[in-house]
Amino acid sequence: MFFKSLDLTTALRPLLLPDEILLFVQDAVGLYEGKYKIQNYQNGHAYLTSHRVCYVAAEEPRKYSVAIDLKELDRVESQAGFLKSSPKVTIYSKPQKKTDKSRSATASPAVAQQSALHPTHSLSHLSQTNLPQNPPSPKPINATWICPICSFSNPVPSNFDPATSSAAANLPPCLACGIKPPLTTVLKAAINAATSRESSLPNPVTSPAIAQETGQPNTNASLSPFGPGGTVSCPRCTFVNHPSLVECEICGASLSASPSANANRVDSPGPLFEQSHIANTEVSECIKLSFRAGGDKTFYERLKGALVQRKWLLQNAPPVPSPSQGTSSPGLPPLAPSVESPLPSAPRPSGVGIAGLERRGLEARKKNELVIGNAFEDLEALMASAKQIVALAETLARESGMTTNGGSPETSAVLSESAAALGMVTTKDMISSGSESLYLSELARDLAEYLTDDRKGILQREGGIMSLIDLWAVFNRSRNGVELASPSDFQKAAELWEKLKLPVRLRRFKSGLLVVQRYDWSDEKTIEKLQAWMDELRRVPPDDSVPWDWSLFGRAVTAHEAAQRFKWSVGVAAEELEMAEDRGVLCREEGIEGLRFWRNYISSSECDDFSRLII
Amino acid sequence: MTTTAPFPFPPTYNFPPFFTPQPNTTTRHSQLEKWSSLIQSWCRHHRQYRLSLIDAVETPLFHNTTLRKRLDLREARAVIDWMTKSEEEGGGGRRAEWVPDAGGASSSGGLGIGAGQGPKAVAWIWWRRPEEWADVLAEWVEETGQRGSVLTVYELIHGEGAMSQEFHGMDTDVMLRSLNILVKRGRAQIFGGEGQEGVKFF
Repeated sequence: MFFKSLDLTTALRPLLLPDEILLFVQDAVGLYEGKYKIQNYQNGHAYLTSHRVCYVAAEEPRKYSVAIDLKELDRVESQAGFLKSSPKVTIYSKPQKKTDKSRSATASPAVAQQSALHPTHSLSHLSQTNLPQNPPSPKPINATWICPICSFSNPVPSNFDPATSSAAANLPPCLACGIKPPLTTVLKAAINAATSRESSLPNPVTSPAIAQETGQPNTNASLSPFGPGGTVSCPRCTFVNHPSLVECEICGASLSASPSANANRVDSPGPLFEQSHIANTEVSECIKLSFRAGGDKTFYERLKGALVQRKWLLQNAPPVPSPSQGTSSPGLPPLAPSVESPLPSAPRPSGVGIAGLERRGLEARKKNELVIGNAFEDLEALMASAKQIVALAETLARESGMTTNGGSPETSAVLSESAAALGMVTTKDMISSGSESLYLSELARDLAEYLTDDRKGILQREGGIMSLIDLWAVFNRSRNGVELASPSDFQKAAELWEKLKLPVRLRRFKSGLLVVQRYDWSDEKTIEKLQAWMDELRRVPPDDSVPWDWSLFGRAVTAHEAAQRFKWSVGVAAEELEMAEDRGVLCREEGIEGLRFWRNYISSSECDDFSRLII
Repeated sequence: MTTTAPFPFPPTYNFPPFFTPQPNTTTRHSQLEKWSSLIQSWCRHHRQYRLSLIDAVETPLFHNTTLRKRLDLREARAVIDWMTKSEEEGGGGRRAEWVPDAGGASSSGGLGIGAGQGPKAVAWIWWRRPEEWADVLAEWVEETGQRGSVLTVYELIHGEGAMSQEFHGMDTDVMLRSLNILVKRGRAQIFGGEGQEGVKFF
């Protein structure tokens, strides 16, 4: 179960799970399984989220879309373009079967099932599944960080864990100059060490997954069904070496750098062989994304980042782990407990009464200060502590909302949703630069999703139609002042709706007013509604006595009344009434009360009959 | 010009948008048609052949007191303009004609309207066009066996023999125009001086 079916939103984009964040989008992407192109999956958008890699085809996106959970990934590799070959990113899966075998008999079915489902599961299993990537025993001993002051290369403390690094505020100072290093420096060093360690060979203890792929005879016999045939071909001379060799017997080239990458190069001059085990099951060994329009670098970088961050582990984590208590959150990997040891475990004051409350408040403030201070040191650090910051921002927003207590509930609702919206929105940063059309199409999809989102009900509240300017204002407001869409981009994006077959459409009224409405909304429907209203006015006697025959003429309506009745904005209502007038359904009366609309009695046939009688 | 019975207004007359020029061309066309027929039936009811707009805008024709709605002079002029055009021009079939600003030349009708009021102030309303009047006259002459006889125009308009006819009390100018059409058709001959015209039917 490697390829997952993918739910698409109305805007034909992957439906994101709670807490899932869109990281990157790239168009013109093709999908390979092993080295073979997968039919119908050759032109589409690649969406990188914090949890998944999704592919959505440009044509028939509902039919051809798949997702791959990041938690099932073992590692990724980037491959530069060469002549006609597009740059590719290769994704290696974890060997599912092996993992299952290595587990106890009771655990294995659970793990297999889980990987097929959403990443919202009990964390004990998840951490188990990720064990190969995150072994508890070996520490990044050779990890070093360079002191920014004196350039002395210090070892990263053995108890330092990137996942909980934001909490570990007490880093050891530089051994040479004694200055405390910034958190990011150590964080980067630890991450680099971790990734290099994972890809380094041979290391059968840390990563059985890699050992299997490279054909190394595993220390654990049950883990290597490929053992007998596990020969390694040299990347340079293609000589088939004995698996235990580190360097090629013939040319001396290093075999350590993941030999399977060699076989995956389509344009490799060497013969293609030893690929029989690919695609013999649903579980494919590796997936390649071919980036025909660039963007592979960013995709690769962010995918690596996402794999390091492992957001899916944070599912059930408590929003803010408190460093003062020093207890690691249960959702974090088993490394976490090691963090608490260096922390000066301050004797927990048994504060009672007001003093206790005050102290607790003080602690909370200090903690917040620490979190904010750490977060803004560097963007990467911000990413690492994003969860905490979001939680903090939410509480702050809630508090400020409570204290001010001003503004309409709608406004505050929109504002409070903005944190969630921030995760959803496409920003220019998410798209590789220079690809204006992709940005526009993603913005168009964003808008369509925003409009059709039933939770917000933007369109419903506006009676199914709203002016583009209103939408622009509301939309930018919901972005909370970050990555605002420019008016011209906005209009261009709205004009793309029809092309992208999205469920909303842009319509231009005669006066030039641009409105947004549902795809299936038509003038005929509006006219039907208006006519029904006019008929109703002919049946219901007016409140005041009128000098005309109300059962024949009905009553005049203003744009304001129409706006109230159909929940349109007044501008839209005026346009719709004029549209109906243009179709000959209504006629106007200009008077001291302003412009009012009547049912078109003038050109109706019953009227003709009367006037003919007169002559 | 005595009004015998109150003029029965059509239902549209009480429809407020009737007094607002409609921007929709189709609706506007029906509106103008209805105004045209209203004006024609109004003039016919009151045996009125020419309409002075400045006076008429104050009459119930253009001023609906119950609705407190009126067609102002400019709009009324637009309606009459439309009526003067032929149907081919998208008009109302030449059911009206502006009386040229002749400065009292048309005072023979005795009413003196249309004099010195500027252009497009007074219009003939052809609830019967002169051609149609000519037909009516010819038919009447035929029916009453007056072919070959000589009648004065005054006799035709005010004579006892034509008392029951529609052209009784007709505007002299209209009568003369209708007679002229008959002359062109070779069915009549006009002689005599100004104001003393006689006519002989063939």
